[in-house]
Amino acid sequence: MAAKPALPGRQRRRLRASRLAQYALVQVLIAIACVFVLHQSLPQPPAGYLVNAFNTKEGGTERGVTLPHYTSSRFSMNDPPLYSGHFVWPSSEAQRAWSVYLPRFNNGVEVAVNGVVILDSRRDPAANRPDRNAPEIAVIPASLLHEGENDLAVRLFVWGPLTGFLDSIYAGPDPVLRPYYEQRTLVFVTLPVVFSAWQAILAVILTIMWAVRRHEPAYGLLAAAMTLGVAQAFLPTAADQSQYSRLNAILITSAPLESGFVLTFATLFLGGRWPRFGALIFAPGVLLVAVGLFGDQALISEFFLFVGVPIIGLYLVLLALIVARSVLKRHDVASFVLGCAVTIVLTCWIRDMLSVLQIAPDGRIFVARLSYSALLVAIGAGLTWRFARALNQVDGFAGRLVTQVRQAEDKLKASFAREEERARAAALALERTRLMRDLHDGLGGQLVSIVALSERGEAGAPIGEAARAALKDLRLVIDSMDDIGGDLMLALGSWRERATAQLRPHDIALDWRAVSPQGLPVYPELRPWHVIQIVRLLDEALTNAVKHARARRIMVTIETLTDASGAYGRISVEDDGTGFALTPDGAAAAAGQKAARGLRNMRSRAARCGAALDLVSTAGGTRVRLTLPRRFPDSDAAGA
Amino acid sequence: MTELSDERPSQAITVLLVEDDAPTSWRLQDALAKAGFQVTAAATLAEARACLTESGPKVLLTDLQLPDGHGVELIRETRRRFPATEIMVISILGDEESVISAITVGATGYLLKDAFPTDIAATVHELVAGHSPISASIARFIVRRTQNHPEPAPGPPLDTVRLTPREIDILWGIAKGFSYAEIAGHLGLSRQTVPGHIKNIYRKLEVHTRGEAVFEALQQGLIRL
Repeated sequence: MAAKPALPGRQRRRLRASRLAQYALVQVLIAIACVFVLHQSLPQPPAGYLVNAFNTKEGGTERGVTLPHYTSSRFSMNDPPLYSGHFVWPSSEAQRAWSVYLPRFNNGVEVAVNGVVILDSRRDPAANRPDRNAPEIAVIPASLLHEGENDLAVRLFVWGPLTGFLDSIYAGPDPVLRPYYEQRTLVFVTLPVVFSAWQAILAVILTIMWAVRRHEPAYGLLAAAMTLGVAQAFLPTAADQSQYSRLNAILITSAPLESGFVLTFATLFLGGRWPRFGALIFAPGVLLVAVGLFGDQALISEFFLFVGVPIIGLYLVLLALIVARSVLKRHDVASFVLGCAVTIVLTCWIRDMLSVLQIAPDGRIFVARLSYSALLVAIGAGLTWRFARALNQVDGFAGRLVTQVRQAEDKLKASFAREEERARAAALALERTRLMRDLHDGLGGQLVSIVALSERGEAGAPIGEAARAALKDLRLVIDSMDDIGGDLMLALGSWRERATAQLRPHDIALDWRAVSPQGLPVYPELRPWHVIQIVRLLDEALTNAVKHARARRIMVTIETLTDASGAYGRISVEDDGTGFALTPDGAAAAAGQKAARGLRNMRSRAARCGAALDLVSTAGGTRVRLTLPRRFPDSDAAGA
Repeated sequence: MTELSDERPSQAITVLLVEDDAPTSWRLQDALAKAGFQVTAAATLAEARACLTESGPKVLLTDLQLPDGHGVELIRETRRRFPATEIMVISILGDEESVISAITVGATGYLLKDAFPTDIAATVHELVAGHSPISASIARFIVRRTQNHPEPAPGPPLDTVRLTPREIDILWGIAKGFSYAEIAGHLGLSRQTVPGHIKNIYRKLEVHTRGEAVFEALQQGLIRL
């Protein structure tokens, strides 16, 4: 999640409060919508087929009742209340089958028409679950019916935990009644099976998830909850004492345990810490299991009703609070959807409680279990959402990784090139040091001796001059091998020193003018061989001025020029000599020849460096102008 | 400058010249004697040490490669015993290898062996006057050492951390061939202060190793082993 900008405390609190208000408002709206939907009564068959005037015989007393009717006892297996009534069958209806349709009853019914039993709901496991709202329909064999009034007797078996209940009964043509029956079966029997299958799939997925990601116990907890839920849905009620009835009883009363699992899952999944007494959440569930193991049927039922159901409600409230907190903290879609689902379940649970306590009797239709499917859908959606988001993150991460790897590669390449360059420079420097030492020990010393010796006799002057020139060149070669980092000014600095020393005996002044403070632009591609060509070229210009033009003053100008395509350097050497093109006599012609050779050399040196040489010589002096390239060539274009 | 060195009364200035190559030694002696310096010549380290017993000369000019040892030792010794002596190294090529190692033990500049006699005299005069000469290539070597490189550059070790940014700017100017006046103009200094800065640079590049300190302490009897 993106980093939220830091807000002042007051503003943050206000924002939080407004978010809470918004969330609460949405939940209230959902609850209202739930109540509205639940208030819609299910479609009823035509009132003409209604049979609701009965005589009931309960506990030895007989009285007239009108259905729907609640019995007073919670257990009446041995002496079930008997409801006797009548319905009219016209013989004109012989063409179509007639049925008895019981939309809702608690817990089991045995229906007899004219004294013959046509239906016993206890054989139908789905109908035995008091929380399932299963309807029943039975076709009356045509031979039982006779013109006029027919007897209808219903025996209501009640085995707790609630009191018995018998809704209005319909007796009429099967084609008329059956659609209503099918409708109820779809909603109250088939749909729960579908959701239970969904729950089973979730259980499998979550178990696998937990098995693969052991460090996320939340998935394990939810898998346990789902498994319990599936077991509850598919195991029949322990109406009769079968071999596994005790196990069944435990499973059926495991709903508090299940809700405990869901609660702990939500705590962990939504980023909460494990509460200090977290294990206590399971205490009621475990207690119920213990009761299921050791208690009898009635005790289990009592416990379930008076401990289990309130615990489920309590956990639902806690769940709603945890989810609300998560919504406020993270405001993500998954928390919000889960929050809405919890609100729906909670609303339905409250409604069921009101129904059970007969505060708002509503035909004893229980919807809490059915509404639990909303939670299942929310959980499934939440998990899928999270999974998709994780996939996106993985994609993004992979993308970032690819970019980073590419960047690292580029960096590595650049650093490798730099390293190579540095290694090359280091090798060059080492080689230069070695060469210098060798020259110092050998050639240099000898040349110095020659200079010294030549100065002792007059005849030695040219020898001395030659030796000095050799020494000067030696220094130039060594100097130019130094890594000057592309700053040609550093090479020119040394050249100025040598030039000054060279000109001093001739009494020629050297004017040095760097037009811009930095002198020349930096050329990163500058190599020692470029430097040596340029310095030798400048030396040549200097020698020409000294030897052939008889100059008194030499001016060196260094400048950086800029045009549309960037900056470049220019070095000019100007003298106030005679100029070498205007040499009248033969002696000077030889000098002119020499100068011409020097000029050719200068041109070739300039060409090798990609520089332009511009030479103007008049009687008033000579100007050599070297315009440097924008980029020095990599290889020696003119050949060595 | 030629006239200047000739006119200056330099009788009192004593120069110890240590050079093993005879022709070079004669040449330098001639140049210095003509300028009026009082020159004592030595050809070996031992001879030079013998000359140093009583009192230090005003100027020590020494070659580095000597038959019985290295000139660096002589410079170090002289620097320690006679702090007032100005020391210059005589170099053939003026390369940093020899010059920098001499600077780090206390020399302030170098003299090229084939320099013209007038230049030789002028350089020594300036040295005595407190101007330490520095060449563009030596300045370049020093400033390139002040730039941070991950690996040590080849050549003699040099510690440049004590140099101030201003001193480094001056070195850059010298390396790029600017005159003292131009450098002073660029940096907003007085032209006269530049030589003083250069002298400071030389002093800061002098190495005072711990080993040397221990050696000195032993000499002065502060430590007893």
